[in-house]
Amino acid sequence: MVTKTSADVVIVGTGVVGVVIAEQMLDAGHSVLMIEAGPRVSRAEVVENWRNSPLGVKGDTSVAYPSRPWAPHPMGGEKPEDAYLQFSGPDAYDQTFIRYAGGSTWHWAGTSWRLTPEDMRINSLYGVGRDWAFDYETLEPYYVRTEHKLGICGPADRTQQWPQTGTRSAPYPMPALPFSPGEVKFTEVVKTLGYNNIPVAQARNSGMPYDGRPACCGNNNCVPVCPVAAKYDAETALHRLEKKGATLLVDSVVYKVETSAQNKIEAVHFYDQHKQSHRISGKLFVLACNGLENPKLLLMSTDDRNPNGIANSSDQVGRNMMDHPARSFTVTTKEPFWSGIGPVVNSGIMETSQGSFRSEHAGAYFRYNNFARNRFVTFAALKKGLVGKALDEEIRRMTACTADIVAAHEILADPNNRLTLSDKKDWLGLPKPSIHYDVGDYVRKCWEVYSQPIGKQIAEAMGATDIKISPKFNNSKHIMGGTIMGKDASNSVVDVDCRAHDHENLFIPGGGAMAAGACGNSTITMVALALKAGDAMVDQMRGA
Amino acid sequence: MIMKSVKIFALAAPLAFAALAPASAQETKGQFSKELIEKGRYLATASDCVACHTNHAGGKPMAGGLPMSSPVGTIISTNITPSKEFGIGNYTEAQFADAVRKGIRGDGANLYPAMPYVSYSNMTDEDIHALYAYFTQGVQPVEEKAPETSLPFPMNIRASMMGWNMLFRPNETHKDDPAQSAEWNRGKYLAEGAAHCSTCHTPRGVFMQEQKDLNLTGGQIGPWFAPDITNDKVHGIGSWTQEDLVTYLKTGRLDHRAQAAGSMAEAISYSFQHLTDTDLNAIATYVRSIPNPSASKASAPTRFDQGKAGNDLSGFRGKDYADGIKADHAGSALYTANCASCHGYNAQGTADGYYPSLFHNAATAGDNATNVIAAILYGVDRHTKDGHVFMPPFGDQPNTVNALTNVEVASLSNYILKDYGNAKLAVTPEDVQLIRDGGPSSQLVLFARIGMGVGAAAALIVLCAAVWLFRRKRSQTQTAA
Repeated sequence: MVTKTSADVVIVGTGVVGVVIAEQMLDAGHSVLMIEAGPRVSRAEVVENWRNSPLGVKGDTSVAYPSRPWAPHPMGGEKPEDAYLQFSGPDAYDQTFIRYAGGSTWHWAGTSWRLTPEDMRINSLYGVGRDWAFDYETLEPYYVRTEHKLGICGPADRTQQWPQTGTRSAPYPMPALPFSPGEVKFTEVVKTLGYNNIPVAQARNSGMPYDGRPACCGNNNCVPVCPVAAKYDAETALHRLEKKGATLLVDSVVYKVETSAQNKIEAVHFYDQHKQSHRISGKLFVLACNGLENPKLLLMSTDDRNPNGIANSSDQVGRNMMDHPARSFTVTTKEPFWSGIGPVVNSGIMETSQGSFRSEHAGAYFRYNNFARNRFVTFAALKKGLVGKALDEEIRRMTACTADIVAAHEILADPNNRLTLSDKKDWLGLPKPSIHYDVGDYVRKCWEVYSQPIGKQIAEAMGATDIKISPKFNNSKHIMGGTIMGKDASNSVVDVDCRAHDHENLFIPGGGAMAAGACGNSTITMVALALKAGDAMVDQMRGA
Repeated sequence: MIMKSVKIFALAAPLAFAALAPASAQETKGQFSKELIEKGRYLATASDCVACHTNHAGGKPMAGGLPMSSPVGTIISTNITPSKEFGIGNYTEAQFADAVRKGIRGDGANLYPAMPYVSYSNMTDEDIHALYAYFTQGVQPVEEKAPETSLPFPMNIRASMMGWNMLFRPNETHKDDPAQSAEWNRGKYLAEGAAHCSTCHTPRGVFMQEQKDLNLTGGQIGPWFAPDITNDKVHGIGSWTQEDLVTYLKTGRLDHRAQAAGSMAEAISYSFQHLTDTDLNAIATYVRSIPNPSASKASAPTRFDQGKAGNDLSGFRGKDYADGIKADHAGSALYTANCASCHGYNAQGTADGYYPSLFHNAATAGDNATNVIAAILYGVDRHTKDGHVFMPPFGDQPNTVNALTNVEVASLSNYILKDYGNAKLAVTPEDVQLIRDGGPSSQLVLFARIGMGVGAAAALIVLCAAVWLFRRKRSQTQTAA
């Protein structure tokens, strides 16, 4: 029985991990209550927030998602001292994520690369980082379920699929999307260098509706929002979950996890937007409120039994923060490439992420960004002082003859890359997250000896007349590691089912559990882990 | 005591049939030729049996179980596979013929007129024979019971249909009109019979009978309006060529001018696109010969040539969404937020017509606003050889893109009508609620209640007939699941 104060399954967060588990539990007949820190808004509002924004700020995805005072998330243009995320260490961990009902898949690109078998055994094979607690073949069936659950399109040709090693037990439910003119050309260019630019597996309806959502119609604004829900985002599931009986509380910021004398989770406490506190009890609890918010909430929730925070007897909560440090090459070419037809990310070179060199330095994934270029080049054209037809022509030329190539790197789990609670407080008086982050020598060496030379080689092969390289590593917004998985409870937070070692009825699935993240975007793996956790939860409820 | 006897008889009768029927059915087994079964399959396709007799949310073909809501309750289609226990496997050809043409079930009970037997009544014995062959040997038996239809009193008295049938059910099969061409006669046979065009496209009289003097001049069918398809140049499709109509029946659309949605999308998906070019041309020839008795002047604008490209973006672009949505530009703000991503910022659609323009489009320029509202609330879902055409719904379905309120749908509809369609029309939130509820029904219910009040038999007739009109008014959760 679900009420406003109790349910069989209480899920903190309404992003993709939360909704996938919610649906599993509802389908198994259990009551589900979901708690969302931020607001619930319509797709129409998000779309118009973005369209109504001036060109100069459109590159910042957060303009479409203004944060609420009680549920702050990173917003562009904040002063470092006022920002929600506080940083220390040589590199900034300046992620974007959204505290809105539906979570951060609202503005993901939909890229869905699986990990490879080798990615999950990086320590055994290359003596660096951490191995996963299980192998690729264990995860594979969950990848298949994820591909069908989210509606992931990809190539049917085995030679064009990723990974090349390991099993693929079922085809993608939809065919790959066609390449844009720029991608076609890019693919030909890199082929001459011996690289295969393959279609991205992506959670996007290719040429057909899927799961009651329409086909992609190529608006090319997947980021910050798909205006028609052709790209999967978790918001598309919320209405369906409610029809299945889920209760959804919004504008409700969970700030404390309460334990019983047996050290089981008894309840969670949240503040509403009027700073009133409420308590929600349940049988099983899921923390699925983002890779930064999860460890923050655990560290905030201290009690006599858990003086270092919930699920933190190992002292690993908040450590091992990972991402995919990225450098971009903005290339001006002689010949037009024309990016922007179709989705914003549609292909990539993945084979450069693999190899025995990984004992020495990271691998990298190269992608040709398929964002339409006009909004990036307009300001440069204006700066040239052009007006009228000459301005139009220059914008057109630069839209055609510029391109962004991005190299995304593999980072290793490092306990020193750590989230702690800042002394600074947010609107509700809760501590802001503080992150110490250093991309590390493993990544820097890759950039020096491997990814930068390859990137330059590609740019030259494209006929570059100018190459601008980003001066520092940018974040890819793939938050991983903060509640890391392992078999050994003394150096990891969750077990193979994302169940907290310390609390038998607490599950913390998602990117935080990933012990190694390779180079590919993390969402598909997060969802696979969510489905695996969901299976374990269904079993656990059966036994209860 | 009498009651009890009746009950015993009611139980005994089907048992008696069951005991006799298998023998006769077995006798016929094996004697139907492949050609005959294929002919029956084609006729079943032309009759669109599968549209209603299959639960499209995971059910097996012809196994029934599709709930169809009506103003008097939900009717669930039956299993018409040759299962002896759950389907019509025990039907003799005579029983089958009576079910299809007279609306009388194998056990003698009346079918509800959700089954379009009034149209099918024109089918020749030869074609009934072919259909029987197909439903006996060409359909896989499904050993599953479709849920029972259980309507409240007095609708549960199926005998109430007898009087209605006496008044309104034709009793003659098709006869060629020697004054017309063979093609026209074939077209009439199909259009008035198997394809049952008039079931939706002909307005209903006070007893919900088809008003044959107004044949094909348009009728309400659940939340949709089946438009005038007479050869009237203004109100009908007189501006279409023969090729236009055949193209529409094959693909479910005619460039930007018309797109099949609702029941017509089903008819295209399951039936028309699978018919031969010869038969589609025959249907087109016949339909294009039907006049509207109140023929209009040819100079007036049609529902295919109203409105124009344009937008109202300068009125609100750059403002806060919440402000834009409240002000005078609410309709156009809703348009750009919910519709423009596919239909274009000027409502111009795409060059290939997959996303139609909203101007010069029958949906926005009809004589009433029903189809504008219904398209927004229910979307479009159509399978053709060209692929799966799907516009997502904006109602309260589990897969709604955005659950628009009645006020928002009204505001959006009025913007579309004003700028792109029939500017004379206006939509209120109450109109939207009516379509959200599945279409106009209040009048029927009122009739029925008055009838019940005076205890007249007419009440039963009206109630039963109501079911007919709402033949395909599905429960929307079912459709979207």
